[in-house]
Amino acid sequence: MNTFRRMMLCCFALISSGCGTTNPDIVPDNSQLAVRQLQTRHYDTLDTKLTMRSVVATLQDLGFIIDVADPDLGLVTGTRLHDYTMRMTVTVAQKSDDRVSVRANARINETGISDPRTYQDFFVVLDKAMFLTLNQVD
Amino acid sequence: MNTVSARLLPVAIFALLASSGCATNKIPDDALRLTESSLEVRAIQTRRFAVKSHVDIMNATISALQDMEYNIDALDKSLGVITASKVSDADSPSDKTGRIMLDLLCGVGGTSCNSYATRDDKYAVSMTMVVLPSLEAKGEYMTRITLQRALISKAGTITNLQRIDDAGTYSEIFARLSKSLFLKENLE
Repeated sequence: MNTFRRMMLCCFALISSGCGTTNPDIVPDNSQLAVRQLQTRHYDTLDTKLTMRSVVATLQDLGFIIDVADPDLGLVTGTRLHDYTMRMTVTVAQKSDDRVSVRANARINETGISDPRTYQDFFVVLDKAMFLTLNQVD
Repeated sequence: MNTVSARLLPVAIFALLASSGCATNKIPDDALRLTESSLEVRAIQTRRFAVKSHVDIMNATISALQDMEYNIDALDKSLGVITASKVSDADSPSDKTGRIMLDLLCGVGGTSCNSYATRDDKYAVSMTMVVLPSLEAKGEYMTRITLQRALISKAGTITNLQRIDDAGTYSEIFARLSKSLFLKENLE
């Protein structure tokens, strides 16, 4: 194989390797189940209403402005402008009589966050807010 | 191209692929961590008011936001969330004069600073107020405010993003809310 053909093959490999999916800007190349697992925690301490109150307080603790809040759908979204733009969507769902799930996902500027530590940090702050709500502290 | 270069070519391309990959921006380590002053900031952002009903304090809050020339973007009564925003002027006469002088000096020096054309133009301010029955004091309502703003230049670019933690600003907003509650109770 001559050098020209090798270069052509390498260029083709470069172009066709891409990043997994056809349109990574529309559908990211990730595992749905893995993403859900790292973005979700379950709580059996507070009901949906008080969990949502704690979620709003958590977002405020972290300096977010609330963009959308819908208690019927258990949805809260927020934006934070602080050196960078960060957007978060948090959903709260009743899973059983005494079990509530909270799922959070976040983006910084144009990048989706898949780092588990960032979500751990969020849930640490939420745990504190849930504790304060449980103990009836504003 | 000699034989050695031809052999190294795929290696070089592999190195390029590996280094470019699908690289993502670095996420700040403290992106979702509380700062040391979080509790202090929370206290600055929170006040309790003794009001007859949730509707009364929600209405008074909306009126106070209207007084401060905000538009309501999102509202949910049961969660007590009110989000409002406004765009205000960030263009100051002293800044304008300073930048004209700077451009003149640059012109004399033979360079172009383009400082006047890229001066600060407006602030986009957003505020969330959460108004809920207090968990600590029965018959009172807890109000918590968070504020942030973006500074936008004449060129349309965002030059600064900041959350506002300044106690004086929050005190002024709470003073407006107190006045709004007073007016509602006594004049409406």
